[in-house]
Amino acid sequence: MGPNLTWYIAVSAFLFAIGALGVMLRRSPLIVLLSIEIMLNGANLALITFARNHADMSGQIFALTVMAVAASEVVVGLGLIVAVHRRRLDLDVDKLSTLRG
Amino acid sequence: MTAAAWVCLFSPLAAVVLIILGGTRLPRRVTGYIATASVAVAFVAAIVDFIAILGRSDSDQSQISTAWTWLSAGSFNVGLSVLVDPLSVLMMLIVTGVGMLIVGYSIGYMDGDDEERRYFAYMALFVFSMLLLVQGGNLLMLLVGWGLVGLSSYLLIGYNHERPQAVAAAKKAFIMNAFGDATMALAFFLLIQRTGSLSFQSSFQWAGGETGTWAVNLVALGLLGGAVAKSAQLPLQTWLPDAMEGPTPVSALIHAATMVTAGVYLLVRTAPIFEAAIHVQQLAAGLGAATLLMAGLIALVQTDIKRVIAYSTMSQIGYMFLGAGLGAYANAMFLLMAHAFFKALLFLSAGIIIHALAGEQDMRRMGGLKRYLPKTYWAFVIGALALAGIPPLAGFFAKDSILAAALAAGTYGQILFVVGVLGTFLTGLYAFRMVFLVFGGEPSPFVQEHLHRPDRSEPWIWMAAAVAVLSVLSVVGGWIQIPGAWSLLSDFLAPTVESVVEASGAQEFWASVLAVALGIAGIAVAWAAFSARTLGVPEWRPARTVLEHKFYFDELYDVIFYRSAVVLTATLRDGIERPLVLGSLGEIAAVVRRASSELREVQTGLVRTYALAIAGSVTILAFVFVWVK
Repeated sequence: MGPNLTWYIAVSAFLFAIGALGVMLRRSPLIVLLSIEIMLNGANLALITFARNHADMSGQIFALTVMAVAASEVVVGLGLIVAVHRRRLDLDVDKLSTLRG
Repeated sequence: MTAAAWVCLFSPLAAVVLIILGGTRLPRRVTGYIATASVAVAFVAAIVDFIAILGRSDSDQSQISTAWTWLSAGSFNVGLSVLVDPLSVLMMLIVTGVGMLIVGYSIGYMDGDDEERRYFAYMALFVFSMLLLVQGGNLLMLLVGWGLVGLSSYLLIGYNHERPQAVAAAKKAFIMNAFGDATMALAFFLLIQRTGSLSFQSSFQWAGGETGTWAVNLVALGLLGGAVAKSAQLPLQTWLPDAMEGPTPVSALIHAATMVTAGVYLLVRTAPIFEAAIHVQQLAAGLGAATLLMAGLIALVQTDIKRVIAYSTMSQIGYMFLGAGLGAYANAMFLLMAHAFFKALLFLSAGIIIHALAGEQDMRRMGGLKRYLPKTYWAFVIGALALAGIPPLAGFFAKDSILAAALAAGTYGQILFVVGVLGTFLTGLYAFRMVFLVFGGEPSPFVQEHLHRPDRSEPWIWMAAAVAVLSVLSVVGGWIQIPGAWSLLSDFLAPTVESVVEASGAQEFWASVLAVALGIAGIAVAWAAFSARTLGVPEWRPARTVLEHKFYFDELYDVIFYRSAVVLTATLRDGIERPLVLGSLGEIAAVVRRASSELREVQTGLVRTYALAIAGSVTILAFVFVWVK
C-alpha cells in the first residue's frame, strides 16, 4: 500500500511549514499569496490522507471545498496586488502598515 | 336612575372631546355654548336622579351601577362604577347647577379672548372630574376624580400661561394637591391590604370593627391629608390664594362648585372611617377651626379683591370641616351648598367689577363704584351679607346650624364654637371692608379714568343672568332647613349619613344670637373704619406685617422644604458627587487610557507579525491540547 501514513503527514507538515515561513518572512505580496497557497495545499494533503486512511469521503470533499476557496482567495488577493501596483505603491507588505496602533 | 347618572357624568366629557376634536372648525363663541349646554344636560340628569330618589323608600336610595371591570389583579377587582345616593345626588346638583351658571357666565367674561376653545374644554373637564369624584362608586374612582380635579385646576390656574406668576401658582396648587393625593393613595394601599377591596361598603364595615386601632387611624389620617390639601386647610392651605391667578370664573368654579368642596365631601362620604378614628375626626374639626380664624385674620389685610374672597373661602371651608369633624355632616353639607351659591355670586360680581375696571384688582384704587354699577353693588352686598351670616340669607342658616352643633358637641366642641363665633366677627369685618372699599365713598381718580360701562350685548347678558340667579339662590338657599320649622336637607341625607350631634332649640337660639350679633358688630366696625375710604389696610404695625406675610407659612415651607433641600443637595454635590463620583470617573478613565496606550503597541500594522502571532498561538494551543490529553 505504498508509503505509510507517517510519510504523508510529514510531507503535509513540511509543505505547511514552508508556506507559513514564506508568509512570515517574505515581503512581496505575490510571494505571500503563493505561500498561502502552499499552506492550503499542505492542509489539503493531510485531509485527503486521513480521508483515505479512514475510508471516509468527507475529507476529500472538504479538500475540494478548500481548493474552491483558495481559487477565489487568489482572485481577490491578486486583485488587491494589482490595485496596489496601480496606485504606484511599493509592493512590500511591510510598508502597508496604515493600521499601526 | 343610574342611566341618568351616567348621562350626568359623561355629558361634560363629551363636550371636552367635541371641543378638542372640533378645533378651529368651531367658532369660539360656540365652544362656550357647547360647554354650557353639556353642563346643563348634566344638571337636568342630576335633577332626574333627584326626583327618582325622592320617590324611593329610604332603604332603596343607594344604587351602584358598574359599567365594566376597570382594574383586576388577583382577587382585587375595581369596577368603573357610579354611586347614586342622596349625598352624591346633592353634590351632583351643586356641581352641575352652580357649574352651569359659572360656565355660562364665562361666555360673557371670556368673550374676545384668544384661547376661548381651550378655556371651555378645560372648564368642562373640570366639571367632569368633579362629577367623577362625587359619583365614583368606590374609593379608587373617587381617587381618579380627585386626581383629575387636581389636573384641571392646574390647567385652569395656569390658563394665562404667558404670565410667570400664573404658571408658578398652577405648579404650587398641583404640588400641594399631590401631597394630599399621595397620603390618600397610601391610605388606600393600607385599606387594600386589610380588606382586599376599595368599595365603600367593605371599608366602612372593616372600620366599624376596628374602632380605634392604629390601622384605621392611619387610613383616616391619610384621607384627612387628601382633604386638607384639596380644601386648602391648614397645613396645606397656601396654594389657594395664589390660585387667584386664574381667570375669575375659574376662581368661582374652584371655590364654589368644584375642587375645594371635595375635601368636605370626602369627610362626609367616608364618615364611618372617621367615626372609627375619633381623634383624627376631631383633628379635622380643630384644623378647620384654626384655618377659619387664620384665614379671617389674613383677609383683613389683603388688598386684592379676589384674594379677600379666596381667604373667605378658606375660612368658610374651615366651618365645614369644623362641622364635619364634629359629626354634624348634614350641617356641613348645608353650608357647602349655601357657600356654593354666595361664593359663586361674590366671585362673579367681582368678575364684573374687574371687567369694568379693565382688569384692575386692587381695592385701594377702586371706590365709589356704587354709582356706576348699582345692580352689581346689590348682588355683591347680598353675597357679602350671606357670607357674614346675616338672616335671612343662606349663610345664616347654614353657618349657625354648624355653630349650634358645635355647642352641642361636648367641651371640645364648645372650644371650637368660641373660635367659630370669633370667626363670624372677622367675616363681617373683612366682607364689609371689601364692600366699602370697592363701592363706598366717592369715585377714585382711577375709577373715573378707567371705568367703562358694560354694554348690553349678548355676552353681557350671560354674565348678568348668572349673577341674578345666584343672587336669588343666595337669599333663598338657606330656607330649605330652618331650625324648629323643617329640616329638608338633613332628612334627605339621612339614609346616607346621619349626623351624630343634634343641637337643642336653646343651643340653636344662642348660637344664632351670638353669631349674628358678632357678625353685625364686624360689619359695624368695618363701617366705622373703612366707609370713609381713608384707610385701606388696618393699621397696627406688628400684626399687619405678620398677616401680610400670611403667618409666614410660605416662608416656613420655603425653609423646611426648599432651602433644606438646597442645602442637602449642595452638601451631596460637594461631599459626594464631586470628590467621589466625578473623581473616580477621572481615575477610571486615566487607568484605561494608560493601559490602552501600552496595549496598542501590539498593533504594529505589519501583516507578518499578525501571521506570526496566529501561527504562534495555534502552535501553543496545539501543544496545550496534546499535553492536556
